[in-house]
Amino acid sequence: MLDWLRFILSFAFLVSGLLIMITAVVGVYKFDYVLNRMHAAAMGDTLGILFCLIGLTFNAPDIWTVFKLILIIVFLWFSSPVNSHLIARLEVTMNPQWHQLPLSPEHLMEEDS
Amino acid sequence: MSKKRSDWESRPQARIKKWFFDGYSAFDDEIINQISVKTPDPVNHAVYDAYIDEISANKHERKLMIEKFEDQNVRSWINARGRKVFTRFYVILSFLLACLMIFFLLRTVAEMPRFGSETSPGINEVTARYIEKGLDETGAMNIVAGMILDYRAFDTLGESTVLFIAASAVLILLRIDRNKDGSPVMELIAEESDDRHYEPRNDRILQGAAKVLVPIIFLFGIYIILNGHLSPGGGFSGGAIISAGLILYLDSFGFEKAGRFFTYSTFSWVSFISLSFYALAKTYSFYMGANGMESGIPLGTPGAILSSGLILPLNIAVGMVVACTMYIFYALFRKGGL
Repeated sequence: MLDWLRFILSFAFLVSGLLIMITAVVGVYKFDYVLNRMHAAAMGDTLGILFCLIGLTFNAPDIWTVFKLILIIVFLWFSSPVNSHLIARLEVTMNPQWHQLPLSPEHLMEEDS
Repeated sequence: MSKKRSDWESRPQARIKKWFFDGYSAFDDEIINQISVKTPDPVNHAVYDAYIDEISANKHERKLMIEKFEDQNVRSWINARGRKVFTRFYVILSFLLACLMIFFLLRTVAEMPRFGSETSPGINEVTARYIEKGLDETGAMNIVAGMILDYRAFDTLGESTVLFIAASAVLILLRIDRNKDGSPVMELIAEESDDRHYEPRNDRILQGAAKVLVPIIFLFGIYIILNGHLSPGGGFSGGAIISAGLILYLDSFGFEKAGRFFTYSTFSWVSFISLSFYALAKTYSFYMGANGMESGIPLGTPGAILSSGLILPLNIAVGMVVACTMYIFYALFRKGGL
């Protein structure tokens, strides 16, 4: 009974993680602009990998493997958002027209008013 | 309910059809627009002759101008049509070549012995001896470490030396020297001003992340090196991880801070000491008879951290060389110096 529960839980988490990863890959190829693509890639790097690794923890043979997997999750959740931040900041620094982008604060304020 | 589309032109089928019948795709069009200079429209010959007569009575000049006109016409054909024809043949030929390569490679794979079959030439007395006697003779739980750092240690010395020679070659080619009085030359000043010209310097978020991550990465790399004879890992992978930590530190804090603990002399001394230690240790081991003979180096109990004779110090030496080499590659390719 417990084995079946473990199997179903890990299966559900792995499949949802893979679906998120597939969505991220499609997004990276489908979007045109850097920031949109960055968002898609970062989603795969954080949420998709989180679900995949949680799915794997249910199949771990001992507690130390679970501990190592949690460490990997912490590392990825630490590094991937920093990566995205650097890419976004580089884009904002290098694109001279970034104030006209639909994402810029001025544009949002105009929409609100 | 199917979604209605307005962009029939950009459908894959339409694109393939257009590419096949027109000889080029919309993508080619973009490339041609980017690379080719716009040529003037072909001019009516009679009008052109009249024009030539008007400006030059001289026959020689007239001949030259006609040549120029023909030249332009030929070039315009190349730009308008020839490039497209070439692109189409190029794509088809490369596709055929790729198919041919895939066919030959798959034929080769089909004739290879099955994975793990007893008749494959890879399974012979050498493999059997490594697996049966490896633990007794080398004392390493990790059979791969026992192979590459004991049975084939001479090969690994060559690999580490190749890394060192590659770093030296890159140093010779890419290093920008200072003047004799120590002042920087113009090239170095230009490189330093160009380095991270567009990138944000001293990014607070990156620095905060690096403060937490760099020590963890160092610890993990050291663990992989020191545990190389007990679990998968060893000098090469551990050294690569340590150099990744060094590069992260360099990226977040800049060359000035990284230069406080890693200079050219650090690189040369660490590499020199590691490689010479490796060479001396293996010379001693070979001199004493190498394989399983009494050499005075205790093998220890398998599974303990201080065991397996020379493999642990050799792993450390290899890890040092790999870490220094990778880091100096990065620094030289980015700025031409440390």
